[in-house]
Amino acid sequence: MPVAIAVKVRFFARLREQAGVETEALEVPPTSTLADVYDSLRRRHPALEPDRGSVRGAINQEFSDWDTAVSAGDEVAFIPPVSGGY
Amino acid sequence: MRYDVTTGPIDARELEAAVTHPGAGAICTFTGIVRDNSRGQSVTHLDYEAYAEMAVPQMRHIGQEIKSRWPGARVAMAHRTGRLEVGEVSVVVCVSAAHREEAIAACKWGIDTLKESVPIWKKEHAADGTYWIEGDAAKPAS
Repeated sequence: MPVAIAVKVRFFARLREQAGVETEALEVPPTSTLADVYDSLRRRHPALEPDRGSVRGAINQEFSDWDTAVSAGDEVAFIPPVSGGY
Repeated sequence: MRYDVTTGPIDARELEAAVTHPGAGAICTFTGIVRDNSRGQSVTHLDYEAYAEMAVPQMRHIGQEIKSRWPGARVAMAHRTGRLEVGEVSVVVCVSAAHREEAIAACKWGIDTLKESVPIWKKEHAADGTYWIEGDAAKPAS
């Protein structure tokens, strides 16, 4: 069992501005979920949106639940609500 | 079927040409345009940002769902990114079907779903500042 797995993180729009980066390589413990990845990023970027409920996560370009486990090499993206309008 | 995220101008007529066929008696086209006001403020321009590698597959999902809900429908959609001025076209959804009822219903469902699930964001540059528009909320941008 490896001690850590590497994922590629992408931020967009307001979250990108809060994080101050567009992409980031992150190492997380194996069996980490999407929620664990976000919480870890929150520690690195304190300005990042604190309300995870207002953010959606995607793994490899597919919307994914927060309790989905990430795998080594995954592209993980955090997505604020999209543009809306009515 | 055609799904584009593009920095260049969108030609709605070109998307209509992509969905027209001899069995289609109706084409419904929704065109979204940059408005000069929002939240009671004047808007100078917009910036759209996309997660393009995900936006195009999400558009494809919407197109496939339209085809399963409205058999025979053909779909084309395009969204522009980058800086857009007032009056420019930001998004087009085009659906052809045998009859107008399906074409209109499918086009409405398509644009409504695109606005909820395709990862493209709007930054509004207005008289009172710069905001990310997130659904019904406007959140200050940096």
